[in-house]
Amino acid sequence: MSTSTNPQQQAPLSLDTLISEITSPTSFPALAHLLKSFAPKDVRDVILGSTLSGGGDPLDVLDVVSNTLGVLWILSARVNAHPQARPRFSYIEQFCATFDVNQARLAPERVTLLARGIVNISHQMGDPKLSLKPLYDLLTRFPPNLSYLTPLHPLFVVASLQSSHLPSTQQTPITRVLSTPIKEINTNLCPDLGYNDNLVYHYVGGCCWVGSKVWVEAQEFFEIVIGAPAQAPSAIQMEAAKKLLLVQLIKDGKLSPLPKYTHPHLPRLLKQTPYHLLVKHFPLQLGELKSVVEKERDVFVADENLGLVLQVLDAAPRWAIQKLTHTYLSLGLGEIAKSVGMEGEVEEVGRILLSMIEKSEINATISIDGTVTFNDSVAGRGGVSKGEMDRALREAQYQAEVLQYLEREVGRSREYLVKAAKGRDEVWGGAPGIGDEDLMLGVGPGAAVWEGD
Amino acid sequence: MDVEMVDQTELPSSSTTKKKPRIVLVDDSHPFELESYISSYSGRTVVDRLTHIMGLCPPLAPQALQLAVQEIHKMRDPSMYQTVISTYDQTCALPDTQLPAALDVVQINQNWVEEMNAKNQAERMKLEVELKTYTNNMIKESIRMAHRDLGDFYRNVGDASTSMKHYTKSREFCTTSQHVLDMCLSVLELLIEQKNYSHIATYVFKADAALDTASGNNGKEKEAAPSQPTTATTAKKSVDRERIQTKLDFATALSHLGTGNYEKAAISFLKLGPVSGLGDWVGKLVSASDIAIYGTLCALASLSRGGIKAQVLDNDNFGVYIENEPYVREIIEAYMGNRFKTVLELLERYSTRHSIDIHLTSHVQDLTTLIRNRAIVLYFQPFATIKLERMSAAFGWTVEEVEKQVVGLIQSGEIQGRVDSQNKILKAKQTDSRAALFAKALQAGQDMQSANRKLLLRMRLQQADLVVKAPKGYRMDGVHPSEMLLQAD
Repeated sequence: MSTSTNPQQQAPLSLDTLISEITSPTSFPALAHLLKSFAPKDVRDVILGSTLSGGGDPLDVLDVVSNTLGVLWILSARVNAHPQARPRFSYIEQFCATFDVNQARLAPERVTLLARGIVNISHQMGDPKLSLKPLYDLLTRFPPNLSYLTPLHPLFVVASLQSSHLPSTQQTPITRVLSTPIKEINTNLCPDLGYNDNLVYHYVGGCCWVGSKVWVEAQEFFEIVIGAPAQAPSAIQMEAAKKLLLVQLIKDGKLSPLPKYTHPHLPRLLKQTPYHLLVKHFPLQLGELKSVVEKERDVFVADENLGLVLQVLDAAPRWAIQKLTHTYLSLGLGEIAKSVGMEGEVEEVGRILLSMIEKSEINATISIDGTVTFNDSVAGRGGVSKGEMDRALREAQYQAEVLQYLEREVGRSREYLVKAAKGRDEVWGGAPGIGDEDLMLGVGPGAAVWEGD
Repeated sequence: MDVEMVDQTELPSSSTTKKKPRIVLVDDSHPFELESYISSYSGRTVVDRLTHIMGLCPPLAPQALQLAVQEIHKMRDPSMYQTVISTYDQTCALPDTQLPAALDVVQINQNWVEEMNAKNQAERMKLEVELKTYTNNMIKESIRMAHRDLGDFYRNVGDASTSMKHYTKSREFCTTSQHVLDMCLSVLELLIEQKNYSHIATYVFKADAALDTASGNNGKEKEAAPSQPTTATTAKKSVDRERIQTKLDFATALSHLGTGNYEKAAISFLKLGPVSGLGDWVGKLVSASDIAIYGTLCALASLSRGGIKAQVLDNDNFGVYIENEPYVREIIEAYMGNRFKTVLELLERYSTRHSIDIHLTSHVQDLTTLIRNRAIVLYFQPFATIKLERMSAAFGWTVEEVEKQVVGLIQSGEIQGRVDSQNKILKAKQTDSRAALFAKALQAGQDMQSANRKLLLRMRLQQADLVVKAPKGYRMDGVHPSEMLLQAD
């Protein structure tokens, strides 16, 4: 970005002059700077939102593709202004689908502003679904690819969740976005990115996965939220921790440890909530579970987690039965009912068993006299195909490469070298004979191991 | 003595009965001879043990009370009268017990009490005056001896805490490591008497250090005041050292037992030196047959079959202990011969003997359960499938009980098998190790990848300084996510 151009002392104050600048720019960076600095902030958007001196719409004069930068500024000013100045929605849609990426990247804040405006407008029009298409276009076209986190991400998933667009097996926009893991954070690309964007995107994304009952992904998303670097745990992280707990109970029937780098306050805070009681009684003490849910209903409702909690309740007997398969080969229905705490509800237990067999969660047969025979679990047999193995190996090798590259990057980064040099002085009392090589080898033992393959 | 009673030790839920009054049965199938048992002890422990028996075993209480009172008269602690009688009264108050009142069983010799009190008072005065004089004169050795004498005195009259105070105080005035050693041994005796297991290790450690110094110096130059531990490392074991070592080993073993660390206890008991090494502790604190029982039970509960063979059966030193209690050998032989029914029957038969021991009493249940579990695991090991009926015959239980035990063991992961509840068959689990390994490796790979991805993202976030920061006040100041995500929810 060119910041060294001469400061515009005498800014052109009328929109007409601006338009002429926009249509015949010397260079795009210069234009970007001009648009940023031609007037003080509060005046700027008013000017951009006004009409031409002849009363015409400036957007009609400009071409979306060749004048993207100008259109972006004007559009982003007008979507957030009063309703009369608002451009046609079809125009916005068209812009989002066709704008010139390189020009738009000169004004990333305006892209965010435009996206916010789109969300607002669709709300005022009473149909959040409208915003999905333009937001998706922005999202897919603005960053180099979907693995870059942008401030557009949270806006898009929130809009999706509101319009009940949940990820599914089909290649819908939301599925595509959510199944591309975020890997890159680039503050040059999006200087207005904040920690909340990351938290909100992954939290709401997790909620979307929960909505479509894809527990693996939901768990992954919530774990990212919980594991986000924090000086003090944020409220979103706390909510994510609650949801993660419920998701884990449904998915695995037990709690797995939180990521190691979780803020230490978080588990402690979680222990004080009624959610912890659920874990204590899960899955065998169905009676206690129910009474906890009854007693703490208000808390769960207030946290908007009642739906998940009820699913936990449904999952409890399933996990209890799952546990039985490890101990028994055959068991009467009545005995099963007794040991999962549903005495007298033999038919209900039979129903659950059938549905578990259907979903091949267990491998069992029910005979006419009510004897259930558990066979060996399906997963344990059959083994792994060669193709699967090869794929796993390839993935591992790719990972190793990534890590090795990263290690080298870190190894030659300024920050690291400064620290390493400092540390060496302290540890060995300034013995300069010890080479850098040794120091760096210790950084990534994983990479060294994989190299051998 | 042989009185039929409702057997309450058999309740499965009584594994953690420490406070709850437990009643031990004495009858034909649980033989116990009080007089021959108590005759192998002397001194204070006799009364302690009898008191314990009174609390546990009402049928034996009157006899125990008589014996206890006889023993008290030989000593100089009138307060024991009270302890003994109140324990007896408590036992009388238990439901379903009809015992003669304490005063019908024994006569309290009031004259003796007063005499003894006066005598104790006089001696205390004498010893304290002595201590004062020595302190004023600042004669180190005499001060130490005065403290030691006071410690002994208080111990005899039953004031353990004051006794302890004087013993530990005497440490400051020890000039030779032999003195430190003496002090440690006195303290250890006191601790064992008080059943204060957790502190034993500290003093054993101190004594060990002192022992190194003492025997090192004695062996080399026999100086009067060898305070420098220079020759300690080259010390060769003298006979004297070995004797004290046995005492220390015993104390360590007992502390492990007391804290429920059965495996360590077993190992320490099994490496004890010969009985002679325990010196005056035999009878005063413990009997050889006690050691045989402690060691064997702990070994059966915690060691492997090979370990038992090597460390119990082929152990000449421990064999001597076992000679004192022939049934212990029977148990071991039955266990080694896979006759588990006999093992359990013997354990049950001698449960009275075990529960009545002051050190073992609170561990009997745990040890029995552990031995039983091990027996079941061992029994099942060679089979791929087995009918529960056969197991029930081998262990002498009902099929339901066997099933319950087996299911418990499967759930705790000690038996790799599954129960066919309909046909009453226990079947070993067959795992395809190859497939399991593949599955495990793939899973590990996936987990690692996902962890990596999250970590890298976290790193990027940190590099970009997108770190959650606390608001100016403290967290959650009205920033509830439901507000942040109003639309989202």
